[in-house]
Amino acid sequence: MSMLDSLAAGLALVGNLEAFLALAGGIAIGVIGGAIPGMSATMAVALTLPFTFAMQPITGILLLLGVYKGGIFGGSIPAILIKTPGTPASSATVLDGYPMAERGEAGRALGMSLWASCTADLVSNLALILVAGWLASFALSFGPPEFFTLILFSLTIIAGVSGDSLLRGALSAMLGLLLATVGLDLVYGTNRFTFGDPSLMGGLNFIAVLIGLFAIPEVLAMVWHPTGHLGKARKLGHNRVTLADYRRSFVSILRGSFIGVFLGSIPGIGAAPSAFLAYSEARRKSPNRANFGKGEIEGVAAAEAGNNGVAGATLIPLLALGVPGDVITAIIIGAFMVHGLQPGPMMFIMNVDIIYGLFLGLLISSVFLLIIGSVAIRGFRYVADVPRRLLVPVVLILCIYGVYAVNNNVFDVGVMFAMGWVGFLMMRCHVPAAPFLIAFILGPLLEDNFRQAMLMSGSDPSILVRGPITWFFWALTVITVVAILRSGLKSRRDAAPSGTPDPSPRS
Amino acid sequence: MKLQRIGALGALSMIAFANVAQAEYPERPVNMVIPYGAGGATDISARLIAEPLGTAVGKPLVMANITGAGGATGSVSVQNASPDGYTMLFARVGSHTVSPAMKATLPYTLDDFRFVTVYEINPVACAVNARSDIETMDDLIAKAKSEGVSYSSSGVGTLLHIAAAMVLNEFGIEDPTTSATHIPQKGGGGAATAVLNGTADMVCTNSSTLASFVKNGQLRPLLVTTEEPIPGFDAPTAVELGKPALTQLVGWTGIAGPDDLPDEVVEKWGGWMETATSDAEFRDALTANGSIIELMSPAEAQEFIQTQYETFRGLVDKLGMRVEG
Repeated sequence: MSMLDSLAAGLALVGNLEAFLALAGGIAIGVIGGAIPGMSATMAVALTLPFTFAMQPITGILLLLGVYKGGIFGGSIPAILIKTPGTPASSATVLDGYPMAERGEAGRALGMSLWASCTADLVSNLALILVAGWLASFALSFGPPEFFTLILFSLTIIAGVSGDSLLRGALSAMLGLLLATVGLDLVYGTNRFTFGDPSLMGGLNFIAVLIGLFAIPEVLAMVWHPTGHLGKARKLGHNRVTLADYRRSFVSILRGSFIGVFLGSIPGIGAAPSAFLAYSEARRKSPNRANFGKGEIEGVAAAEAGNNGVAGATLIPLLALGVPGDVITAIIIGAFMVHGLQPGPMMFIMNVDIIYGLFLGLLISSVFLLIIGSVAIRGFRYVADVPRRLLVPVVLILCIYGVYAVNNNVFDVGVMFAMGWVGFLMMRCHVPAAPFLIAFILGPLLEDNFRQAMLMSGSDPSILVRGPITWFFWALTVITVVAILRSGLKSRRDAAPSGTPDPSPRS
Repeated sequence: MKLQRIGALGALSMIAFANVAQAEYPERPVNMVIPYGAGGATDISARLIAEPLGTAVGKPLVMANITGAGGATGSVSVQNASPDGYTMLFARVGSHTVSPAMKATLPYTLDDFRFVTVYEINPVACAVNARSDIETMDDLIAKAKSEGVSYSSSGVGTLLHIAAAMVLNEFGIEDPTTSATHIPQKGGGGAATAVLNGTADMVCTNSSTLASFVKNGQLRPLLVTTEEPIPGFDAPTAVELGKPALTQLVGWTGIAGPDDLPDEVVEKWGGWMETATSDAEFRDALTANGSIIELMSPAEAQEFIQTQYETFRGLVDKLGMRVEG
């Protein structure tokens, strides 16, 4: 079959109302699911999966992909409006999105989030269609040593999201690393810091930690000081994103999309680190660097581009190698298997019509996301106008509900509240929460890959510099660390003549 | 909670077809715990059986994934549930024979559960990277004896972990814990990927996990543990290779309740499972996955699992693989 024939066959598969409805319905489910705190994109996809068993393969898969893409965007809505990432991938969006909402610019932040998401989505889909084969073979050269160096480099993000004090950021990251060690040891299977409690054997639930760290401190702050928010110009989310905003952030969006595509095509990383990396790269390169973390629209754009850039690209290892790139695609692979489809190189020969059908469906999905997303924003942005005394209790209920629903486990709700107090104390001591989260995500990956590398080589550390990919990331890490040290020294020199550095206002 | 509601909705629609409600068990919806994540082999199997099973039970089945610690978190939640038959567990080879055999610190033992059925058997296959020069088990063993081999798994105490050790041991590697390197990954997908990208030499896991890689020519199967060959796997069976003991090495999915589950509840489940597993749609969907449907009565299931546990326990003790602390 020629390419045109395949394209026609694919078109025949998706060119019907059912497929379009599935895609649109999926995106709508995803946006709503993602927008509910605690109900992450992963869970929305998991809940939709059983319904696809009875559908045509392509319809079912498009439905799931729609939920995935919608969910990753939808997560940014509560991240911006109520400082609660709806899905882990939108944690980085909180950093600038929430300050914007506080300033009364919720509509603008949401609009930018949607545009950035759709742009990144399109880039990601095009990457999947055009360079899947090449990226997939590249992804296969990523073993534990390469992963280790990539993640080591990614830890430098911490400097980018630490705010004014690198020391406080490092402290926060260290706490995150420490808590991430709870659970079963990967290599020996022994208990670590479980104190004999079976509930701790699975480690601390990520969603519970995430919500505890971001949303609960806001609730506690409200209880602590019920009238503290009065007088702040938080209301009226009616302002919109402008073309000028988009043009100004375009480079960051594009860079974020490429970071997303790159990290998405490597199995095992996922959208959250990608969003943080895109954010910190945007901050490093932006002329408005100083404004990052205080409500910079470019920060929202970069973070959202970073996480949506992953969505299409995670299908690269899935379709080209049959390897799921993250938790969500691991669920989606189940839908393939129930229909007797086996993703991998052979699928490009045996079921080429389905592959092209998926490609076409994905391209349409970016447009659907734009339409459904704008409708959702129109509905949700009024949340910004809800008086805080009403909003905060509702948020609290949603958080408890959401965290319980992740694993049907009351223990997780306890973890959320405990982390809420930790987050509250951190907030009062001006210790930023983002480094904690990054360390909590990346710490276990770093440790596991290091130990796997050591197992591979029989504890010979030279495996960590075994090839060009590792050299590249080592070099990148060294350059970044040097740059961080230099800018740190420079700011200290600058600050020294004017006396004490100004107290960090971030909270 | 959302999960439960959707499960309930789906099952509610089935009640319409069920017989007149009876005053005896079950009077209300039954909670079904899946101790592994959505989209995994256990989850798919559970959700496929849930449809015909819900019809047979006549009350909604509320499906909930309670994940963590290799199936232990969900298993504990059923172990501690009251034995009234309203909280049941989808038990799996990893959580209920391998982990109890290997982990001293596991918060439950096999005796804490009463099995009502095993309905699915997953054949196990061992495979290496198709680009490697290992063509047969003999090649692999030769390599293990000369330079050593490594194998990947989805974690300590999983079927994949013990499978590779058992296979190596059967083929004459006296001490696979030291002469072969175990490289655990997180999740079953990662284990196959590790062989694909050269992190490990070999993986032994459910044939359904490996099927697409074998079909795509990415992995080369060396052995299947069934008595009969598996379609699509161009590899000798354990029996053909003269290692009939390896036929013990299969994955399975079953349903269990807390250990003091009353006899009448167990009996009911036996009947329901017979009805459910004869559903044509279920049979097609599950076998398309590469699984074998093999319905065991409560007594057979209990015996099957006990035998497999003792085999694994013996091996673990012999090889010193038990995880303490």
